[in-house]
Amino acid sequence: MNPSLKLGLVLIISFELAFMQSVIANLVVAALGLLYLLFKHVSIKKILWMFLVSIIPVFGTWFSFYAHGSGDAMHSAWLLSTRVYAYIFLGGILSYTGTVDELLGSLEQNCRLPSKFVYGTLGAFNFAPRVVVTVKQMKTAAMMRGEALHVWSPEIFFKSILISLRWSDNLSQAMVSHGFNETATRTHYDTYAIPWWNWLVAGVCLVGLQFLAFSGLF
Amino acid sequence: MDKLVINDLTFRYKNSGPDIIKDLDFTLQLGTFNVLYGPSGCGKSTLMKIIAGLYPEFSGHVTSGKMYIDSEDVDDWNTQDFSKHVAFLFQNPNDQFSMTTVKREFIFTLENLGLPIEQIEETIDRSLERVGILNFKDRKLDTLSGGELQKVSLAITLAMNSDLIMLDEPFACIDIKSRKQLLELLKDLQENDHKTILITDHDLMGYQGIVDDLYHFDDGQVQPVLKPAEVFATYQKENRQLLFDKPGDTVESIIDLHELNLQNGAKSLINSASVDVFKGKMILLTGENGTGKSTLFSALTRLHDYRGSIKYLKKDILKYNQRKYARYVGLIFQDSQMQYLKLTVEDEIKLSLKHTNYPDFWTDDVVEDYLKQLNLAHLKDHVVYQLSGGQKKKLQIFEMLILGDPVLLMDEPLAGLDLHSTKTVMKLIKTVASEQELTVLMISHQLGGLQDFFDYHLQLKNQCLTYTEVLNYESIS
Repeated sequence: MNPSLKLGLVLIISFELAFMQSVIANLVVAALGLLYLLFKHVSIKKILWMFLVSIIPVFGTWFSFYAHGSGDAMHSAWLLSTRVYAYIFLGGILSYTGTVDELLGSLEQNCRLPSKFVYGTLGAFNFAPRVVVTVKQMKTAAMMRGEALHVWSPEIFFKSILISLRWSDNLSQAMVSHGFNETATRTHYDTYAIPWWNWLVAGVCLVGLQFLAFSGLF
Repeated sequence: MDKLVINDLTFRYKNSGPDIIKDLDFTLQLGTFNVLYGPSGCGKSTLMKIIAGLYPEFSGHVTSGKMYIDSEDVDDWNTQDFSKHVAFLFQNPNDQFSMTTVKREFIFTLENLGLPIEQIEETIDRSLERVGILNFKDRKLDTLSGGELQKVSLAITLAMNSDLIMLDEPFACIDIKSRKQLLELLKDLQENDHKTILITDHDLMGYQGIVDDLYHFDDGQVQPVLKPAEVFATYQKENRQLLFDKPGDTVESIIDLHELNLQNGAKSLINSASVDVFKGKMILLTGENGTGKSTLFSALTRLHDYRGSIKYLKKDILKYNQRKYARYVGLIFQDSQMQYLKLTVEDEIKLSLKHTNYPDFWTDDVVEDYLKQLNLAHLKDHVVYQLSGGQKKKLQIFEMLILGDPVLLMDEPLAGLDLHSTKTVMKLIKTVASEQELTVLMISHQLGGLQDFFDYHLQLKNQCLTYTEVLNYESIS
């Protein structure tokens, strides 16, 4: 499915889910999400991982409503704990069935997001692995000079800001040196179209969701 | 015809600041090979960034002057017009790229220029082929060494079809073999593709016979060198082989490597190396680009994972308290700014004095005297981040020497320093190291002026570390 449409659909479903009072709706969304992940050949390991990390929050939510909830405590407990799973699989769809490159490229072409924002963000994402290494280096470098940097040390923030400024400056110069100009028209090697059946799938999902929302199921 | 004409150019970073470039006149002939040399921090990079259209767009002010490229006034050019005419390779090749793979960076560049998509694939292949690196196409950029990245940069300039190729200190972090290859490639591009080449460098080794015009940058101005042979001669004299002792049986070791294995991603760098680092000695570590010298330093300072064992004074380095160990084995980072913690030069030095192992040695007079020798004394109230590349390096080395850690690892401390600064810095290191019995292990590609400073030479070759007595680096010229 087209990444922008997928993002839009997931956002709308998540938003509506927050106001819905139906356990069955949560389970349906979670199950459909899981099916989509399986259909897209997301590895079983990742899916198990999603089940596993959510156990504590799901159980915690369930138990706190069961023990301290007012009104229909049982319903609230099940409602909120199944909602966690619905959200986890919706999130899984965004994280595991597409890349940042695709999403940004699609947002640029399908949603007219400014190219400066798209390529700036993409460049910044490509810097991510360097951040981890650099923080470790910064701490070691300080220890070598006899000082210990902690999360609360002003120096670590000062240095991080300086490094970020330098990186952003370097990145923009790198982009400009390779011909980037936000006002110029560019070609697109990868094109992102929204085929008609994408709209159809999105439409069916949304209509189905309204049915779940307003049919008053448990 | 003239490729580039600059008339009466004046540039400063701050409105109230000094002129970095003063009434400069500069002309480049079409299709020539040009080298601009001068001391570090004199403004060569600034001039290049102006020609590339990055300044004053990103920083600084042009207060007077005119520039013409291909006889066109560049006043109303935007950054994209510049990039179509002028290619600029940064001093640090890592700074050149914003995407993750070679192919992605090419696509980004060609999309920027609006090339029709059906031509993109063919253009990428043709450009990579021309530079002889077609097999790099799907490689990730962070797995390429400095020299390889520069070849990719050059291939991209070919794809962009820019006729003026500028390289800013391209060989600062590159070994001799890659340097020679790159120079040959540039000469080939000049002769066969009619590119105009402009290189800035502080070291003229290997340029004789290649260069058409030599220029000297000094005091904000560019002067053509009328008798280049004389200038080259002074640089050639430094190019000899370096001779070292072979460690005897009696020397005491301070760091022992045993069956050390190092990897970078999937690439094996060092394979089962067992070698000692000797106490109180100055050791030069050499090896080609990307062989893993810096990674070895990272392993020695516990910044990179390894297999095998590394011992400091017979005890595994992983068993030391992290803070204490950081004061036994110090690292002079390739990136100077990584070392700084304070704002001004004076505060940086005070911090080192606070933690020094030799407070009696570092009296105010001694510090002052060394600062003068390093030409830093007048910069005490300056912000460290605003110093020039060479000044940053000198301050960084000085403050680590003050600390007096028993072992000091230096990763390319001479990169970007001119011959004079190199000698001053080496003398300082040698004196302090022998006063305080420090062990120094230094990576350097720049070998000019290093004779008599080192005891031993450790070579990283074919994934092995060995002590060798002869280092021949004359083969370049």
